Amino acid sequence: MTTRTVAHPYPFTAIVGQEEMKLCLLLNVVDPRIGGVMIMGHRGTGKSTTVRALADVLPMITRLAGDPFNRAPEDVPEHDPLLALVGIHERPHKTEKVPVPVVDLPLGATEDRVCGTIDIEAALTQGVKRFQPGLLAQANRGFLYIDEVNLLEDHLVDVLLDVAASGWNVVEREGISVRHPARFVLVGSGNPEEGELRPQLLDRFGLHARIVTITDLEQRMEIVRRRRAYDADPEAFYAQWQPQQRALQRRIVAAQKRLPEVIIPDDVLMFAAELCMKLNVDGHRGELTLARAACALAALEGRNRVTLDDVRRVAVPALRHRLRRDPLETMDSGEKVAQAVSELLARRNHRAAERPAELLETA
Amino acid sequence: MSSAPTTLDFTNIVGLETARQALLLLAVNPALGGAAIAARVGSGKSTLVRAFAALLPPGTPFIELPLSITEDRLLGGLDLEATLIKGAPVFEPGVLARAHGGVLYVDNANRLEPSVAAVLAEAMSNGYVRVEREGLSAIQPARFLLIATYDPEEGDLPLSLLDRLGLIVPLSAQGDAATRAEVVRRNLHPAHDEDESNMLRAMIVAARELLPRVQLPDDHLAALVQTAMALGVEGNRADVFAAQAALASAALEGREVVDEDDLQRAVRLVLLPRATQAPTENQPAPQPPTAPRATGTAEEEGEDETQSEAERPIQELLLEAAQAALPPNLLDLPFAAQRRGRRGSRGQTLNARRGRYVRAVIGDVHGGRIALLPTLLAAAPWQPLRRAANEKRVHVRRDDLRVKRYRDKAGTLYIFAVDASGSMAINRMREAKGAALRLLQDAYVHRDQVALIAFRGQGAQVLLPPSQSVERARRELDVLPTGGGTPLASALLTAWHLAKQARERGIAQVTLVLMTDGRANVGLHAPPGDRQRLREEVQQLAARLRADGVNAIVLDTQVNYLSRNEAPQLAQWLGGRYVYLPNARAEQIANALSQSAQAV
Repeated sequence: MTTRTVAHPYPFTAIVGQEEMKLCLLLNVVDPRIGGVMIMGHRGTGKSTTVRALADVLPMITRLAGDPFNRAPEDVPEHDPLLALVGIHERPHKTEKVPVPVVDLPLGATEDRVCGTIDIEAALTQGVKRFQPGLLAQANRGFLYIDEVNLLEDHLVDVLLDVAASGWNVVEREGISVRHPARFVLVGSGNPEEGELRPQLLDRFGLHARIVTITDLEQRMEIVRRRRAYDADPEAFYAQWQPQQRALQRRIVAAQKRLPEVIIPDDVLMFAAELCMKLNVDGHRGELTLARAACALAALEGRNRVTLDDVRRVAVPALRHRLRRDPLETMDSGEKVAQAVSELLARRNHRAAERPAELLETA
Repeated sequence: MSSAPTTLDFTNIVGLETARQALLLLAVNPALGGAAIAARVGSGKSTLVRAFAALLPPGTPFIELPLSITEDRLLGGLDLEATLIKGAPVFEPGVLARAHGGVLYVDNANRLEPSVAAVLAEAMSNGYVRVEREGLSAIQPARFLLIATYDPEEGDLPLSLLDRLGLIVPLSAQGDAATRAEVVRRNLHPAHDEDESNMLRAMIVAARELLPRVQLPDDHLAALVQTAMALGVEGNRADVFAAQAALASAALEGREVVDEDDLQRAVRLVLLPRATQAPTENQPAPQPPTAPRATGTAEEEGEDETQSEAERPIQELLLEAAQAALPPNLLDLPFAAQRRGRRGSRGQTLNARRGRYVRAVIGDVHGGRIALLPTLLAAAPWQPLRRAANEKRVHVRRDDLRVKRYRDKAGTLYIFAVDASGSMAINRMREAKGAALRLLQDAYVHRDQVALIAFRGQGAQVLLPPSQSVERARRELDVLPTGGGTPLASALLTAWHLAKQARERGIAQVTLVLMTDGRANVGLHAPPGDRQRLREEVQQLAARLRADGVNAIVLDTQVNYLSRNEAPQLAQWLGGRYVYLPNARAEQIANALSQSAQAV
């Protein structure tokens, strides 16, 4: 048993399989505008291990020293009302580098700790009204993770979704009135057998990953071996995976830098739109997420140009939760998306074969 | 905190041999997380666990978790007394943090509140406990072994928790006469065999030391994983537990390499109880990736039988042993049962003090639990007036008191009882399924649940027990039986049982949706053809449902409107609505339901 309160989490790069889930998380790191990810799957498939492992490969951010809202120095004015509210009366001028926060919402968390509330100690001892920032403040510019989303109180889920969508946390309680930035990527996970998520909730996550028990013998044996090594000595295991961890971190930083340069050709954009039309996806959120995720994927792989294959690879997690719900449908929505993709691709190849000249012209 | 008083030594307890083995493995290898032990009341399971605690090194925390424990006592929270004296919030660690490095024991764990079980499961997977409640924020180490005992007659453990307990000891068959006599003899004359206890202690210490050096050869690991796959074990966590159990078993026996006995033990205690299917004959048996198998001494002995044994892949031996140990009815295993939805689902709130704490209101202390933070906040502004000079303690008066208000999570339970007899049955069932799924689309918002009963032939059958899961409903309702007589009374009785169970779980609203033409021809006790008695049975049961406040809606699905008045009559007895819907479509049914919901 280690003496640290929290042992080194299991390294992200040591996680075997579950590629869809890992890709969805990484795409959100590269481009937080993708809008988070909801991971649904069986027990014991490594959902929470994977999300908690993410923190260690995330890049660093610069913030105003000691700012409880994790703000970038340029976002904090000289006379900042938020700092005054938490009892800091002079704006620090130093900056500091901190890792992108991954805030874990524990079960049983109460709304006052999630949103922030009056500082009870200051109220009792000094009789002053001060704001004690909550988890939403801690998560600003980072990730907020909710395990077992289905077990979370509905109204708390609503609060989180509202804040995630607007990027602002508004607190009006116990005589305190605060509005502070809270931009974060929301990551949820759960088990579909514990109760279905309402569709409105799923819609608001950019990507939806579904995972199942790994059935490859060699992979499963490797999971057991690695887990035994980790359980026996987390520190040594962590040290052993350092090179892979840092390499992934560098890849992420490079992808973030590259992202603004990534272009998505018209015909690829067209393909994304056709796909959404074929699947009867309402609104434009589908195409937008599809395009963003494809760009992030290209950036992650060090390319400046999005290909049809990028769209194909992100289509299932980007669209499977946006299909119209037909209660009598027995086919998995992910399969439906995959099928639509391959049909469209086949039609395209067919056309390309028929009219090569035309295609050359447009290219 | 130290060991509870025991009447018997660990070595003195007979009849719970498998449970005892499991506990020894747990003592050797904490990576197993914990153990679930199913045993009947009075089998001595609590005595065994307490005796087990006495085997652990002195000073090891051993805490018995009361079922009534609240989330804040579990996680930790504001220490009221210290806070009032100090005049500033003081955090008091909860039970989970106090169990760090030791053992947490829950008896009757099937009765744990779902929220408490979820918190336990979370702490077990993290190894620490994080508190973000009532203005407090704390993180504390919480690595403990959880031992949960329960009587499966009374219900199952929550799967989220069971999944994190490495070892599961299913109910053992009643012991033979000799064992039973031995139990009594040892209870009458407990032999305090200090030597034996000391020996066990020394064995555990030695095994713990050996454990990191124990080898698990690749072909053995492959055999475990293949067995897990053949048994349909969900997730990959069980593989890890099985490996750890085999390692612990070898360490306990003083072996440096895991052998077949260790594998068998791991299969029995980890994989078998998690089976969701019987291993199939045509299961593709992939070859272990590493060819050379451990060469046993048996081979050298040259005995025919042992030689052939040694030549067979280990996996085959394991599967064979597993097959032999599987209970005749797979649904007696917890994961299989809940997978197929034949047994209890997640419990709901039981009374006003349960559920999730939402808001604090001014109120009478006797009417609920005190909400500490809001109470202190209410008192805060008055402190300068109430305090003497230089005084720190907080003065709280009756007016400051705030009590917690809980949210009742339960919604409505819709029970679809569908006449599965006759030529139109397939149609009726399909549309009922559509309507049920449609209702579930909104279930998350309303916390509604849906159950489905089909009745035909000699009785009614619960196809889908109360559930919120669309996925499960879709799966359960895929196979629908049809044909035979119309046992209406049986359907009403089944519905009444479901409604009663729902009440016990705090679901106040139950709506029965009966899709039939109302013509009963199979009774509970009434002989076939006795129309009078058939009618009486139905009438009595309908009145019972009505008296218990079950809302009812009768959907008459008769195609030829023969005005036999049986369905309208039934609706009247039930005190519910009558709707004539020949060729009822799913949407029409769902609409009719939402209309009647508004009417209520």
